[in-house]
Amino acid sequence: MMKPLVEIKNLSIRFPEEKGIFEAVKGVSFEIHRGEILGVVGESGSGKSMSALALMGLLPKDADIFSGEILFNGRDLLKMEEDEWRKLRGSEMGMVFQEPMTSLNPVLPIGKQVGESLRLHTKLSENQIREKVEEAMCEVGLTDVKRLCRAYPHELSGGMRQRVMLAQAMVSSPSLLIADEPTTALDCVVQAQILSLLRDIHEKKGTSILFISHDLNVVRALCNRVLVVYKGEIVEEGMTQEVLCHPRHEYTRSLVARIPAYDGRGQGEREMIRLDNVNVFYDVKNGFFRKNGSKHVIHDMNLTARDGEIVGIVGESGCGKSTLCKTILGLHTNYTGNVWIREDARPQMVFQDPFGSLNPARTVGWILEEPLRLRGIRDRSERKKRVSDMLEKVGLDASFASRRPRELSGGQRQRISIGAALLMESRLLIADEPVSALDVTIQSQILELLLRIHEERKMTLLFISHDLNVVRRFCSRVMVIYKGQIVEEGLSGEVYESPAHPYTRLLLGAASMETEMEASYAEGKTTSEEKEAALCAGTGSFGCAFYDRCPAACSICRQEEIPVTALGETHWVRCSVFAEKAKGKIN
Amino acid sequence: MKKKNFNLIAGGAITIFFLLIALLGQIWTPYEPTAMDSMAVNLAPCAAHPFGTDNFGRDILSRVMAGSGSTFFVAVSTVLIGGFFGTLIGALTGYFGGWADNMIMRFNDILLSFPSILLALIFISLLGSGSYNIILALGILFIPSFARIVRSEVIRYRDLDFVKSARIMRAGHMRIIFAHILPNAGVSILTAAAIGFNNAVLAEASMSYLGLGIQPPDPSLGRMLSEAQSYLSNAPWYAIAPGVTIILIILGFSMVSEGLRALKE
Repeated sequence: MMKPLVEIKNLSIRFPEEKGIFEAVKGVSFEIHRGEILGVVGESGSGKSMSALALMGLLPKDADIFSGEILFNGRDLLKMEEDEWRKLRGSEMGMVFQEPMTSLNPVLPIGKQVGESLRLHTKLSENQIREKVEEAMCEVGLTDVKRLCRAYPHELSGGMRQRVMLAQAMVSSPSLLIADEPTTALDCVVQAQILSLLRDIHEKKGTSILFISHDLNVVRALCNRVLVVYKGEIVEEGMTQEVLCHPRHEYTRSLVARIPAYDGRGQGEREMIRLDNVNVFYDVKNGFFRKNGSKHVIHDMNLTARDGEIVGIVGESGCGKSTLCKTILGLHTNYTGNVWIREDARPQMVFQDPFGSLNPARTVGWILEEPLRLRGIRDRSERKKRVSDMLEKVGLDASFASRRPRELSGGQRQRISIGAALLMESRLLIADEPVSALDVTIQSQILELLLRIHEERKMTLLFISHDLNVVRRFCSRVMVIYKGQIVEEGLSGEVYESPAHPYTRLLLGAASMETEMEASYAEGKTTSEEKEAALCAGTGSFGCAFYDRCPAACSICRQEEIPVTALGETHWVRCSVFAEKAKGKIN
Repeated sequence: MKKKNFNLIAGGAITIFFLLIALLGQIWTPYEPTAMDSMAVNLAPCAAHPFGTDNFGRDILSRVMAGSGSTFFVAVSTVLIGGFFGTLIGALTGYFGGWADNMIMRFNDILLSFPSILLALIFISLLGSGSYNIILALGILFIPSFARIVRSEVIRYRDLDFVKSARIMRAGHMRIIFAHILPNAGVSILTAAAIGFNNAVLAEASMSYLGLGIQPPDPSLGRMLSEAQSYLSNAPWYAIAPGVTIILIILGFSMVSEGLRALKE
């Protein structure tokens, strides 16, 4: 057998802390073989990035490599001279980070940044470097490369920036690519593209990839072998399928079986909320002297949710999910149509970002008392008692009342938010990505809490998420939103078992990376050039919003009104291609 | 490792020390601050007069004690006036925005673009001199800087989720501004107040120095400095005591405000 590319032996990394020493990595050993994709899974703070950073020599200054060796091609990096190590890094390793916004230099043109390592570590001429850079950028699927080379990072979308990062990492054809949560900051469609790009690179160039992620589905789709890291130790290691299908360690098990399921019990018949033909607009300020315009964010939204129902709303970032919440809650008033909420609803919201949703200047007790004060409960001791009862109900200790939000973890903060909603006696809870900012194991705890409370109080829950796996198990009914329009709606089972809209399929495909969706829509497909031409010719507001990204798009998608096709009593889709197909079947 | 906030502790100690001296000066001083003694004119520091005496034979220690009292009184009152109205205006304009916000802030900018001492002089020449008029003039002139700081803090927090959450709970605007948002601006307001104290002490001293502030024979640190000028060569202690007192008071406040800023970060 060939010697592995990287061998990490008994690596321990420590950080000096206020109280003693924090051991971030505890005696970790593993190898990366030539031409394999090794996944590293774990939650934030588990130390999963530390060994990769050590490999790149990018550890924070106060980190102390206490013991161990890092062998790259059989040579110990830790014993190497700084110069030599740097050369090796420049030519043999590449790294892609999570945050494409901050990992590119905003004041340098793209081409310069991609070519930097060649300029530093090779003796190629400027022309040769430019050629190589353009080649690398083509390889990562960027087009119009010559123009892009002169562009600056802010002109690029998140997905494009991540491609640029990849090009930068791959330009010197390294034998090892380290990808640290490279898709976490991207929406799921772009995520799928980047993942298949990584796979392509791996297949074409045989690059070994160390892929660090907290997302099991991504790891499952991409990696041959996986390490599970928990509290600085490798708790499980093996082939991906084996580990994920038959997890042995308790932590892995909690990762795999993380989403509690909702059985749809407790649904009432009375309507809690109803939206009729709601169109929402945003004011757009064009500057001091120019006329202000408005942006149409939500188009003809019809939505109902009944007593005790859990409705999932799915869509990528920027599709109008949060605007929808704001409109329902009365925080955004620039809309037409009807928004009706039952009088006793007292709607409440759990926000995505647990760090912004609690007042940093107040104690937890004060925050939880506020809904009671606003409901007019004047008796102080009564309020205090209810607060401490509530703290216990949401799984915290009554002593949390005197703490401040900054002392709490993300999960604990979300519990407080949920508690505040319950103290308001809310009958309608809107949860806007309530777990997406949390670690995987904490996610399941918060979802369980939500389910338990739903079981108890039978409130209506609007659950907004981009994560289809969560929505699938958690919600009885699902709506898929694309650019402010519901494109498909149905019971969870219907939408997941037989997704109709190309966008839904793409979302599902992105989550599981299994479906070859293009094949099923092969006939009558429009090429990207045709799309471009159609988009240029049209006014832009015509037809299907998904047209420019749809793999099944054809000329009928440009008609003004996109027909809605019913697929069952509760299941419908808004898609021209589907309508045509349905007609064909009937005729 | 958490460092002790040296600035806050030392600055606080200095400030409290002078505050106590000033308070003491209101009820007891070694000599009557305005009592003249023709037998003891321009005495150098000695056991009976630790800081010496001035050209009228008045005890400098007693005058410094009493003078710091009026300095503190002027500084505290101006900061209270400026802080109260500035916070109110800043919070309301920051929260509601709109054309009123624009107007008030542009007016603010105009006020801020003049040196405050100059504006204070204009005020005084309109109102007449005296410590209450100084307080009024400086207090009004401090409003814009407070308003600006509070406004920017309120805008920073206005659109955060916890404010939305309060709105969803149907909390009223005033409750949101004063119970939810303003506590977050507390440290900034305190920092601004500490800087404001400094400016007020300096402004009071300079106006008294120019003869527009506290009127003789009442002692004032600034006034003492201006009187001491003519005796600098034969009675330097006359200038040293009030000068050092002003410097130390300002040092104390500066350290406190520096410490508060560190606390915020």
